[in-house]
Amino acid sequence: MQYLLTFRSLTYAQRAARVLERAGVTGTVSRVPKAAAAKGCAYCVIVAARHRDWAVSILTGAGLVPERVILRHPDGTLEVSE
Amino acid sequence: MIYLDSAATSFLKPASVRYAVSEAMRTMSSPGRGGYESAMRAADTVLDCRVALADLFCVRDPAQVVFTSSATHGLNIAIRSLVRPGDRVVISGYEHNAVWRPLHGVGADIAVARAPLFAPDAMVRAFRELLPGAKAAVCTQVSNVFGYILPVERIADLCREQGVPLIVDASQSAGTVGLDFDRLGCAFAAMPGHKGLLGPQGTGVLLCRDEDVTPLFYGGTGSLSRQAAMPEFLPDRLEPGTHNVPGVAGLLAGVKWLERRTCPAVLAHERELLELFSRRLEQEKGLRLFRAADPALQTGVLSVQIDALDCEEAAARLGEKGVAVRAGLHCAPLAHETAGTLEEGTVRFSFSPFNTEREAMAAADAVLELL
Repeated sequence: MQYLLTFRSLTYAQRAARVLERAGVTGTVSRVPKAAAAKGCAYCVIVAARHRDWAVSILTGAGLVPERVILRHPDGTLEVSE
Repeated sequence: MIYLDSAATSFLKPASVRYAVSEAMRTMSSPGRGGYESAMRAADTVLDCRVALADLFCVRDPAQVVFTSSATHGLNIAIRSLVRPGDRVVISGYEHNAVWRPLHGVGADIAVARAPLFAPDAMVRAFRELLPGAKAAVCTQVSNVFGYILPVERIADLCREQGVPLIVDASQSAGTVGLDFDRLGCAFAAMPGHKGLLGPQGTGVLLCRDEDVTPLFYGGTGSLSRQAAMPEFLPDRLEPGTHNVPGVAGLLAGVKWLERRTCPAVLAHERELLELFSRRLEQEKGLRLFRAADPALQTGVLSVQIDALDCEEAAARLGEKGVAVRAGLHCAPLAHETAGTLEEGTVRFSFSPFNTEREAMAAADAVLELL
């Protein structure tokens, strides 16, 4: 399972990924699936499920609070967790 | 050719800039438009450049670094964000038309703070007298005509005391004279990418204090696509349309070159060349050199008048001798008016980090041949 941490723009998603990388967490910048992009095009950082809490904590500390945290199940279904 | 028109554009650039532009055209598409490799490579380059510029100018958040097509573009955004018709705006007497014309266009009540060349105390006094009641102020950090380093830090202090937002035109200072955006506390700082920052033409940067800005252009940003209004956050709010990715890649290479060489070292080199050039000419009759008594007040830009020659004629003859300079009013009639050179204009010699002592001496000899 993976978590998609969404941000308001590509710039913020990129910065979030770099903050995570410096903290030793692998995060991949990607576009938010259309089904979850209620406001139109958006970007997210994908992290492994086990890194979710740690990643959100690091990002919050860096002033880069994700707009939403979305769980992506292995079958591709999405679940907004917060 | 001896290129001494770097105040117009840095024709002489590091080889890494040309390579970066070429590589960007070969390997990068457009950021914010897809998640595929070439788009993400472009996005990484754009963010790298934002971060490098934020570091260079002490900007807290790279999102405050907005890419524009020129300093003029950035100044138009800044002025349109702060000034409404009839607003009183204080500007220095050394501003470029990139400031004067947008203010005129918006219908501002323009108050010009005039003070003699290389007299920073007088300039601060002029601002102090005019600032009460102003809605905004604009000050160039360095005069494009005379290389005069204005007391921007002190003017910024005055503006903060009076609650007047300040726009700094860093067109001639970026890459040589330091600018600490956070400490200065100004509302905006605009600069070209193609002068002291050594990037390609068609690049510019606007540093923004906050997100309360008025877009000049509207369009797609790759974010909040279902919303009719422009995003309210930076940099997206001010960056609609496709980015100039090759330009930004080249600008990044220029900034990296500057990081290695350092801005103070570049300024010191340009001042040394100006000193050599001036020393060769200063005893000659029939020449007027606009030099600061205190070298700390001038960059590597020098205006000269030749008594017997029209400035355009002088520049044309220098061009024939292989010396590239700019003559006339340099799009800065206010500066010429303030310095008393509006009617005659001047010939401007502007040095770059790539000019050599030999070139400076050869250019001086070419001037002597005109006498």
